[in-house]
Amino acid sequence: MRFEFTPEESAFKSQLSSFLDDALPADWHGPADESRDDHWALNEQIKKGLADRGWLVMSWPEEYGGADSSPMMNTIFAEEMAYRRAPGHDRFGTRMFGPTLMRFGTEEQRTKYLGSIARGEIQWCQGYSEPNSGSDLASLQTRAIEDGDDFIVTGAKIWTSLAHRADMMFMLVRTDPDAPPHKGISLIVVDMKSPGVEVLPIINMAGLHSFNQVVFDEVRVPKANLVGELNDGWRAGMTVLNFERSGIDYAAWARIALEELIEYVTNDDSLVTTAKSDPSVRIKLAELHTEVEAARLMCFDVAYRQGQGEVPSSEASMSKVSASEVYLAVLDYGLELLGMYGALEMGSNQAELQGRFMKMRLYYTSGPILAGTNEIQKNIIAQRGLGLPRK
Amino acid sequence: MDFGLTETQELIRASAREFLADRSDPATVRAVANGDTAAITELWKEVVDLGWPALAISEEHGGAGLTFSDLAVLLEELGSSIAPTPVVESAITSWVLERFGSESIKSDLLPQVATGDILITPAIVESDASWNASSARVAATRSGSSLVITGEKRFVAFAEQATHALTLVRTDNDEPALVVIPIWKADGVEQTPLDHVSGVPVSSITFNEVEIPESSIVATGEQAIKATEELVAAGGVARAAQLAGLGKAVLDATVEYTANREQFGQPVGSFQAVQHHLAEMAIAAKQVNHLVHSAAWSFSQDGYSVERAAQAKIAASDKIANLCWTAHQCHGAIGFTWEHDLHLYTRRALAWKTDYGDAAFHKSKLANTMGL
Repeated sequence: MRFEFTPEESAFKSQLSSFLDDALPADWHGPADESRDDHWALNEQIKKGLADRGWLVMSWPEEYGGADSSPMMNTIFAEEMAYRRAPGHDRFGTRMFGPTLMRFGTEEQRTKYLGSIARGEIQWCQGYSEPNSGSDLASLQTRAIEDGDDFIVTGAKIWTSLAHRADMMFMLVRTDPDAPPHKGISLIVVDMKSPGVEVLPIINMAGLHSFNQVVFDEVRVPKANLVGELNDGWRAGMTVLNFERSGIDYAAWARIALEELIEYVTNDDSLVTTAKSDPSVRIKLAELHTEVEAARLMCFDVAYRQGQGEVPSSEASMSKVSASEVYLAVLDYGLELLGMYGALEMGSNQAELQGRFMKMRLYYTSGPILAGTNEIQKNIIAQRGLGLPRK
Repeated sequence: MDFGLTETQELIRASAREFLADRSDPATVRAVANGDTAAITELWKEVVDLGWPALAISEEHGGAGLTFSDLAVLLEELGSSIAPTPVVESAITSWVLERFGSESIKSDLLPQVATGDILITPAIVESDASWNASSARVAATRSGSSLVITGEKRFVAFAEQATHALTLVRTDNDEPALVVIPIWKADGVEQTPLDHVSGVPVSSITFNEVEIPESSIVATGEQAIKATEELVAAGGVARAAQLAGLGKAVLDATVEYTANREQFGQPVGSFQAVQHHLAEMAIAAKQVNHLVHSAAWSFSQDGYSVERAAQAKIAASDKIANLCWTAHQCHGAIGFTWEHDLHLYTRRALAWKTDYGDAAFHKSKLANTMGL
């Protein structure tokens, strides 16, 4: 047992922190809105800065330009980035598609894509969910029909984050409609500028354009873009999800939001004063503090186990459920403390805390939904973790 | 961060598990709950032989010199077997004596604790049920080189078995003090047994002008407050460790029950409504486990983290009792019976959640560290 970072880990954390001090605007509170050009420029700038320092793909093996950093170090990286609400952490390329390519891709594909991801040059997006395939992902229907040296792809992907900013997409397509659902799926990469690809913005309930529907109308994709074996895409595709399913971002966002609330409650300039004199506020904030730390430890436990060579699937689900839930609990309580001010939109006149809490509460309604709903995570915990029978 | 157990800790866990499965079985737990004090004495003898009271006492004073983290691993096993034995009481009082006692107190008492010749239990709480270090009213009046103790302590665990009580009193100078008082068949010491939900002996103790030498003083004034705060923090983490073990045991039992109990032609554990209850129990148990390890580890460093100690007890108190209620729901009617063992665990959890400060007490402590 050791519940502190090593000197090496602490040193890295503070280097990253000083980099972000310089890279982020002085009054930066986030969250980034990728549809805003200035925020996207900041995203690109930080991504380059991380790449220049070797941090963007530090999790990768050295042969691909990484530093072979430990899962613990990677979690510290993710935690610090999220804690600062910093953009520029290209998860789709660096944590999802890159590692998948290393395991399933051809030598040619690795040469072609990994370098540009490592340098922060190419933006990737992930084409998994479809209008009729959410939690039941294996039922996906986007078809890829073989035609000479190409596939012809027709269908639609949805909830595709950053499709409006992406150069490339890695996507799951159905290549054998007659096989059982999991057996007829392949993983391919598609150039977003291909004829027949159309990106339709979806505005989320927070009023932000963060994801899209992407329609494919007989899009020609070279067969060379197939990653892994034909009809074996489910296996490759699920590798990605293991990287996706961590709660560390939520745990870090919850921590910074809680700290902002504590600062607000104790600051003499705050307009809402009832909170300061109410002892129940102390109790509730202490309770949330405990919950946030519990969720954080769940995430670092996942990193510890990964470092031991385990594949902690159930633990990863636990971390995602814990952290996404506590984040919303902190935001909900923040809105309660802000009272009437809680109802002001971000940037409104007379808003307290810039109206961030309402924006974030609306935006992170997605937390317990995306990357596998928390209900699906609980199924995983019960079935894979506790060994209960599948119905 | 390292979430793994050391070799020593693996060893402690394995040997404790094996011993307790045999010697703290439900029949023993029930016997003790029904007032069979001989069963407590018998089990305690074996626990002493295993060296558990000596585990965290320094080698210098006759102990094994292991860490608080090591102790926490043992306490998790004692929790998962709801063993009716005063290891926490003994370990926490010796922990405080080791850190705050004079050299003569330490060299006199600690070796005897290690060998099981004496058993010291904490006596902090009074009629106001407070674990606050400055709230004691039991009077310690100076008389020559002696102190005369008068007043009542409440909720003293295993007072019937203990030889001494590490007692929080108030001196003539209106200062708190921690003193060691012999209570085993002592003149002027009267015990009132309480019918406690824990299923182990808990009493109130009345001191009627009990005279003790001034060498019994462990700490006074600020030091006494510090010592009592550490006693409550360490005791809270110790109870949280037991609750963590208890929660895991109840989770395991509920998984086993729901995986085997069939309705509508299939195990009830195959239904999502039940699976989600169990997933939430698993999350709670794991969260408490991590917070306990983090807090226990801090006691193995210089000083300890007030913040982490509070977090461990808050989470354990809030979550493990709830975990037990969910387990009852998953067990259905059978888990509502006296005959089924589940309520033995629930009762223990309900008692332990209030011990050494309940969640509200520790939330207030934690809030202080947060600048609130």
